[in-house]
Amino acid sequence: MTDGPSVAAATVPARRGTGTVVVTGAAVLSAYGRGSDALLSGVLSGRPAFAPVDRFDVGARRVGVAATMPGSPDLRTELTRVVREACDEAGLSSSDRDRSPLFVAVHCHPELARAAEVDQPSLGPEAFARAVAHASGLAQQGIRCYISACVAASTAIADASAIIARGHADRVVVAGGYLVESDQFALFDAGRVLADDGQVRPFSAGRRGLLLGDGVGAVVVESAEFARARQAVPLARMAGWGRTGDAYHPCQPHPAGYGLARAVTAALQRAGIRPENLGYVNAHGSGTGQSDAAETNALRRCLGDAIATVPVSSTKSLHGQALEASGVLELIVTMLAARKGNLPVNAGFLGADDGCRLNLVLGDALAATPEYAMSLNAAFGGANTALVIGLP
Amino acid sequence: MTVSSPVAHPGLDALHAAAVAAGLTVSSSASWPQSQADGEVPALAGFIDSAFSPLVAEVAGRILRGRDGQDRVTAVVVVTALGDVTSATRVAAFVDAGRRVPPLQFFQSVPNSVVGHLAARWHLTGPVACVTGTAAGMDVAAQLIEDADADEALVVRVDLKVTDGDRDRAAAVLVTGPADRERPGAEGT
Repeated sequence: MTDGPSVAAATVPARRGTGTVVVTGAAVLSAYGRGSDALLSGVLSGRPAFAPVDRFDVGARRVGVAATMPGSPDLRTELTRVVREACDEAGLSSSDRDRSPLFVAVHCHPELARAAEVDQPSLGPEAFARAVAHASGLAQQGIRCYISACVAASTAIADASAIIARGHADRVVVAGGYLVESDQFALFDAGRVLADDGQVRPFSAGRRGLLLGDGVGAVVVESAEFARARQAVPLARMAGWGRTGDAYHPCQPHPAGYGLARAVTAALQRAGIRPENLGYVNAHGSGTGQSDAAETNALRRCLGDAIATVPVSSTKSLHGQALEASGVLELIVTMLAARKGNLPVNAGFLGADDGCRLNLVLGDALAATPEYAMSLNAAFGGANTALVIGLP
Repeated sequence: MTVSSPVAHPGLDALHAAAVAAGLTVSSSASWPQSQADGEVPALAGFIDSAFSPLVAEVAGRILRGRDGQDRVTAVVVVTALGDVTSATRVAAFVDAGRRVPPLQFFQSVPNSVVGHLAARWHLTGPVACVTGTAAGMDVAAQLIEDADADEALVVRVDLKVTDGDRDRAAAVLVTGPADRERPGAEGT
């Protein structure tokens, strides 16, 4: 039976469940090093982490810069480490972990593209995630792998929040990982989207593109009720979330920002707040011409007068674009900065662009203690996400 | 009796089973190959060297052509065990040979891209998700519908030859929530 007119009129769908959702643990790796302290001090320093790439040969590339940790860290090892650390911070016992499913955001199994064809079927992201879950002591059931490009991790966090709010799950550990490697680097170089001046300048005049960066992060998302029963202290509330599609182009954002604006509006509605309640927006801010202008239009469309006062920065200007992991890396940045009471700068800024008029955090980190903060991401396919956190 | 007899399609069967398990109603479905007449999947402009994106476009088009529902918000969920392994393998070969990668490979390097094509072609404004398991994909669709992020979801499953033996395959279902579903009480909006 499908919806009939009377049913559709009578049953106005609810936008979220009644449960309160919190983040009780977080752990991260970035070009600034392993750990939240390294990430927070790095982004608050205002010094971008970009440097010439020495992890692989970039001799045939137009651009040879990224934000990377020293050496060649192993993605499975690092994902396992952040999952364990996030669970440690959340105070999860081994039996708690054994009942917690893992949602993982990755591009693919790191060994897939160079494996013999006969071996490739066993090298899916799910096998990779299962190994991470096993090594971390998490459940072997309920594993999900998100491969939705730059909204993979943020979509996973939104989905985890949605099912917990509905009471369909008590807790989900969400992790995402991208470590700069030769294939994606070559693809982005071929697409001529890498900044050939070696800096990411979101929303700035003279911006020349994005740069890739290492990012591996994990958050423990759970029911506030269950967290309280464990006497866990939440780091933040997952107050609202929104995900939408542009219906515009395979790889360009809608210039007017319609889709992203709808994602923001949905997230604010779920949070039950107005735009002026936002104390910080960690923008998608890729540093590319079209995307930054579209995002500005989206924010103008949905924030109204608050656009003049809400502080905005894109920390991709500092830690780079971590692709599938961006959502979890940037949510953690947002959470750490808001809790610290210092908002990171929008680095690389050369001057105002009339198409990107926002209240950017420029110069130095901004002292502020937002009650609510929002992290935005957008991706190929016109996919958009908005995550709103509430601070204690 | 049709001119070409239908062919068995385990991927389509899996989508139907997952929809039932998730409490969703399948309003229409399609597959490739759907009958013996389906030979080579039609090319898709802007996408090269791999059947992945053309397969997604073809099975989705078979559902969406002639559909009445322009006022509905449709989510798109792509389910694929490996992603576009054909393209990933080609890119690795270019990189290992020290060669520049064809720019079109950049634009098809993630499964989102063909979803963007579909969304633009058929005006699908709901959320976009790409996941690796059929059950997970259907659970994502069910949650999006339950929370009114979408009225319906197009769930497309792709099984390239490397995972499916003899040939590239794809299947799609358009799912809605059960009309009589009891929606739990909600806060906010």
